[in-house]
Amino acid sequence: MASGYDRALSVFSPDGHVFQVEYALEAVKRGTCAVGVKGKDIVVLGCEKRSAMKLQDTRITPSKIGLVDTHVCLAFAGLNADARILVDKARLEAQSHRLTVEDPVTIEYITKYVAGVQQRYTQSGGVRPFGISTLIIGFDPNDKTPKLYQTEPSGIYSAWKANAIGRSSKTVREFLERNHKDDMDREATIKLTIKSLLEVVQTGAKNIEIAIMAPGKLIEMLPVEDIEAYVKNIEQEKVEEAAKKKTGRPGTGNTSILATRAADE
Amino acid sequence: MDTLVARYSQPMFEKEYSEEDQLELCQPTPSLSLKFAMPPIAQPSAWLRAATDDHANPNCPIKIAHGTTTLAFRFQGGIIVATDSRATAGNWIASQTVKKVIEINNCLLGTMAGGAADCQYWLAYLGMQCRLHELRHKRRISVAAASKILANLVYSYKGMGLSMGTMCAGVTPQEGPALYYIDSDGTRLSGNLFCVGSGQTFAYGVLDAEYRYDLTEKEALELGSRSILAATHRDAYSGGFINLYHVKEDGWVKHGFSDTNPIFWKTKLEKGEFSNVTSELV
Amino acid sequence: MEVLLGITGKDFTLVAASKAAMRGATILKASDDKTRALNKHTLMAFSGEAGDTIQFAEYIQANAQLYSMRNNIDLSPSAVAHFVRGELASSLRSRKPYNVNLLLGGVDPITDKPSLYWLDYLASLAPLPYAAHGYAQYYCLSILDKHHHPDIDYEQGLKILRMCTDELKRRLPIDFKGMLVKVITKDGIKEVEYDDEARIACP
Repeated sequence: MASGYDRALSVFSPDGHVFQVEYALEAVKRGTCAVGVKGKDIVVLGCEKRSAMKLQDTRITPSKIGLVDTHVCLAFAGLNADARILVDKARLEAQSHRLTVEDPVTIEYITKYVAGVQQRYTQSGGVRPFGISTLIIGFDPNDKTPKLYQTEPSGIYSAWKANAIGRSSKTVREFLERNHKDDMDREATIKLTIKSLLEVVQTGAKNIEIAIMAPGKLIEMLPVEDIEAYVKNIEQEKVEEAAKKKTGRPGTGNTSILATRAADE
Repeated sequence: MDTLVARYSQPMFEKEYSEEDQLELCQPTPSLSLKFAMPPIAQPSAWLRAATDDHANPNCPIKIAHGTTTLAFRFQGGIIVATDSRATAGNWIASQTVKKVIEINNCLLGTMAGGAADCQYWLAYLGMQCRLHELRHKRRISVAAASKILANLVYSYKGMGLSMGTMCAGVTPQEGPALYYIDSDGTRLSGNLFCVGSGQTFAYGVLDAEYRYDLTEKEALELGSRSILAATHRDAYSGGFINLYHVKEDGWVKHGFSDTNPIFWKTKLEKGEFSNVTSELV
Repeated sequence: MEVLLGITGKDFTLVAASKAAMRGATILKASDDKTRALNKHTLMAFSGEAGDTIQFAEYIQANAQLYSMRNNIDLSPSAVAHFVRGELASSLRSRKPYNVNLLLGGVDPITDKPSLYWLDYLASLAPLPYAAHGYAQYYCLSILDKHHHPDIDYEQGLKILRMCTDELKRRLPIDFKGMLVKVITKDGIKEVEYDDEARIACP
């Protein structure tokens, strides 16, 4: 493709691309999907979980959602092994920050740090960029506003109300764009997260992970039973809505996507 | 008999300088010769020698002028910061108009005791770090963080001759009024009230007796200034002017740089304090 | 003249530290906290060279917490103690050693067994049922030798601690401004309301 310009990291192609970084974005696209959604006073991370093989011990297989500090949570899409290194660096920085300025890190600070590390690995020879995008959520100390940030292999970081990374992230992001509302309560936020994940996860609750953060509280991993209940509820609604569509306007499509669109217009 | 008297009439404190040094320092300049205000000695190198503390610590190359009184205290209306303005080097008064309150930014103040150069330099450095923090994080640095930057910094130079005793006072939305004491040992303490310098004991005496958290602004300013006055009166290494600041929610306010001499006489004559000093010519 | 005391009992560890922060002839602060929580079940009290103490304690604290974040489990008190000893030992052989004496109290989160470790700046480590640092050793160890039993309950522990602090108030020539007392149980670390007002007369 780009005769040689994709070999060395620190070389631009004539039209201004750094191909290695773009390949890293490919790796992200191949990773399992992760979703982050901000509600009125909580913020939720949802992850697609690879189905475990028969002999795998799921109990101790590490999760895609990790804690950076007690008030900061991170999910990633892309190369698992790269993420481990990055998360570890973030954890070290979080403690180091506490040690030197006596305050826990703000979400923006740790995001900027993570993005900074990722950027460093795009500008020097002999290294490979991190093949991951991350979603970082949490609450600043003494602050009740939920925060959600995304970082990319290039070192870009950005703030979001709701976003998705990884496999089929475009579909999920579009779904979120259509369905996200400001000031969602806890139930609505969790439901939207799961609903958006179900756009790409066919296998249902057992392949979904949900982490919830609230101000001043520890991270809460939603138990599988609860996720199952949400999934059942969502599917029920879908069936009902489809049935309504059938009776109301025979002949048109029966997806909920079209329904909401119609309502918006 | 004379030798006995001599032995027991020696000063309480360990002699800091050798006899020659002492002599060189005390000898007045010939009165008729026109001279600039130079250290009153023949050899500048000898002056350096007097300022070298090789008795107490041979590893410490420079002797630091410790003479100072600084104080700061928290009260209901914010923080009062007050200092004297004398700089000494041994027995020599190097200046009577030193600014010992360092304005780090419009909400943070630092005070200066110990080595003037050390304090000025590192507090300026701290000011730089605080501004950088503001630019990077889009909000003002907390006093806790600012004081910790300084404490970690001086700790990294521990044992290498830094000499500082400073206080960081400031008001931030997160913390409210906050006061920290930092010294060159690496100690960092938060508290309501600190006095630092050779005159600290005299200042503590006046301040502790009348300090309350619910002092009014007027009372607090008066108490701060009176405590410095007490120290300038009793401590030979403190004097000059009283530098008075009040730190409030929306930044600090300066309340003057006032000569101690008229304040002393006003206090004595109007309030009848300092009764050990006579105002009559005998 | 800093005072550190530690007492273990049936299901708790008491750690007490004097509240005065002294510099030269001046007490700069009378409510100083010479302890740091390392994790949910381990508390470290420290005394020694100004500056070194807090720097070292907070360094250890940050590392213990980093371990908890990385591994999703807290280090046990015994593991922390040996880690701290290692750090002190390598510091001792460095250009500028930390001059810090420590007491490390904890309750093992798995076995619920209380423990107390005594460490000095020479990196000696000793697990003990009760311990002290500084001048407090001369006054308090004899009291503890006489009155301490391994299976005392919390009230008895506090009573023995009171005997110790009363004796210190009676005989130490410098006012250490009372003690800050914390207790570690299987439920975590708690500060104990400890009345320091009473004057103790010297007979």
